[in-house]
Amino acid sequence: MSSGLAALRLDARTVGSWTLKAAAGLTLCYILLPLVSITWLSFYRQEIPSFPPEGYSLRWYASIVGNARFVDGLLLSLQLGVAATALGLAVGVPAALCLARFRFPGREALNNLLLMPLMVPGVVLGTALYCFHVEAEIATGLPIIGSTIGLLSGHLLIVIPWVVRLVLASLAGFDRTLEEAAQNLGANRWTTFRRITLPMILPGVVAGALFAFVASFGNLEMSLFLVGPGRTTLPIAILQYLEWKIDPSIAAVSVVQIVLIGGAMLITDRFVKISRVV
Amino acid sequence: MVGQGVQGLNRGELTSPAPAPVPAGAGAGALGLARGRRKAARAPAPTLDERGGSGIAAAALIGPATFIILAGLLVPIAILFRYSLNKFVPRLMMVEAVTIENYVKFFSDAYYLGVFFTTVKVALFCTVVCLVLGFPLAYVLARTRTRFKNVLVMLVVLPLFVGNAVRAAGWMTLLGSKGVVNFALIGFGFVEAPVEMMFTEGAVIVGIIAVNLPFMVLTLQSVIESIDRSVEEAAFSLGADPWQMFRRVLWPLALPGIAAGVILTFILGMNAYATPVLLGGPEFKMMAPLVYGQMQLGNWPFGAAVSFVLMVTTLVLTATAGYRLQKRYRR
Repeated sequence: MSSGLAALRLDARTVGSWTLKAAAGLTLCYILLPLVSITWLSFYRQEIPSFPPEGYSLRWYASIVGNARFVDGLLLSLQLGVAATALGLAVGVPAALCLARFRFPGREALNNLLLMPLMVPGVVLGTALYCFHVEAEIATGLPIIGSTIGLLSGHLLIVIPWVVRLVLASLAGFDRTLEEAAQNLGANRWTTFRRITLPMILPGVVAGALFAFVASFGNLEMSLFLVGPGRTTLPIAILQYLEWKIDPSIAAVSVVQIVLIGGAMLITDRFVKISRVV
Repeated sequence: MVGQGVQGLNRGELTSPAPAPVPAGAGAGALGLARGRRKAARAPAPTLDERGGSGIAAAALIGPATFIILAGLLVPIAILFRYSLNKFVPRLMMVEAVTIENYVKFFSDAYYLGVFFTTVKVALFCTVVCLVLGFPLAYVLARTRTRFKNVLVMLVVLPLFVGNAVRAAGWMTLLGSKGVVNFALIGFGFVEAPVEMMFTEGAVIVGIIAVNLPFMVLTLQSVIESIDRSVEEAAFSLGADPWQMFRRVLWPLALPGIAAGVILTFILGMNAYATPVLLGGPEFKMMAPLVYGQMQLGNWPFGAAVSFVLMVTTLVLTATAGYRLQKRYRR
């Protein structure tokens, strides 16, 4: 009797486990479905996105090169991403070091302040920065609205929280005695930082840098308010094209973006396992 | 090593003094925030050299970043609020004033109220669906021991980083009148003529759910990972079936993470921009596109006011949810 019950229970668990896995698989498919369909569309031979395709072709990828709008958008996005990440590292890594090392009143508040740009919705952030740029332009007389500097400073804002978060996380398990040992052995602060601290927190710095880059590269809502006439980032160029129409050429551009971001993730993964930092 | 700091953050969440954090609407920007605020990093006590070495070093380290956020974020939000009190006069654009007429206009006009409630409705619905669809995947990801785990997590993270416009494009391909879905529906004989699915509320909901699911899954995954597997085994050995185990053990223990995930997805839903614009078309309006539209029209005071309403609504709803939960589950 009891063994029969046990068998029944086991059965319920097996059934439950398979139901669970099936449901999980369906959800994963749902998440990936749009990426699969846009990739498929990029190989259609005809221009109209009607299913089934008349045939397959690679010509849409070749046509990207000739489309200045997307090439310029891609270049601007890459430049912005790199510049914002570099600046973000320059101010974010020291800030994380300070938060991890020093105890002072208001430390927790400061920590929350540095993470705040992630908490403000993108559209609100964009509107606020736009108004700010209007005021700044009136006050200084310099051309700030729609300028690259304005755009870059916005991106710097959304990049800092990522650097701080991930570097701070990598400092949490840090063994301070190593630094003290180095200093006892005569290393000055800079040498200690370069030879001991930096190598130890490197995974966090790399992860922070890549997340920061991706956050900047993919940013849409905030950037919409900050770009100047005739100059757009890649996500905005994609959005504006899609508002007009969808065809395999925009699909090819999208695939390029997917591949770039996927590549960045794979590189990050070599330093830190993605499943441990997200 | 990096993970050590991030894992188990959810455990601290309910004891933290403020409600769960409010994330960004912008794509990847919000990722991981749902993990809850970091508890104070467990840094060792300062060494002699630091106590003497002063606040100057600390200030020099953290000063630049703090200045950038203060000047670049808080000042603009203050200006945004100030703008929302100004008057809009056609042709003169913006006239300085202190009036709440923009807010009155928003809350007394049936059209804007309609946009507001549509947004809340869509966001709520998508959040519930995300929770139901996301939980199984989160559980499987959290409990997998195979080497595919990392690959699976990356498959969840990739769409999130790719951006909303590209994913909306994927849905446009699928849902169009000559898309795969209509092809299948006609092929199986369910319908005679293509169903018009694009530019409907349904399309927007389908799109937003797909956009928000990764956030929900990753949040739930981290909290489930922090729950010791042996409590599940204990429930089973005491005779619980899977459903009872879920209801009586897993659900209550995962509640902080569930709350964080629900809040995060709700906010993302409220602030969705690209998905409603691309899948909803010109007729279907949600809050974020409304803000952009007003700013484009040059009505900065009203755009600023709508923007502020959007921010305050999400903040208040989030804070309320976080506060109630904290009161209930204070440990």
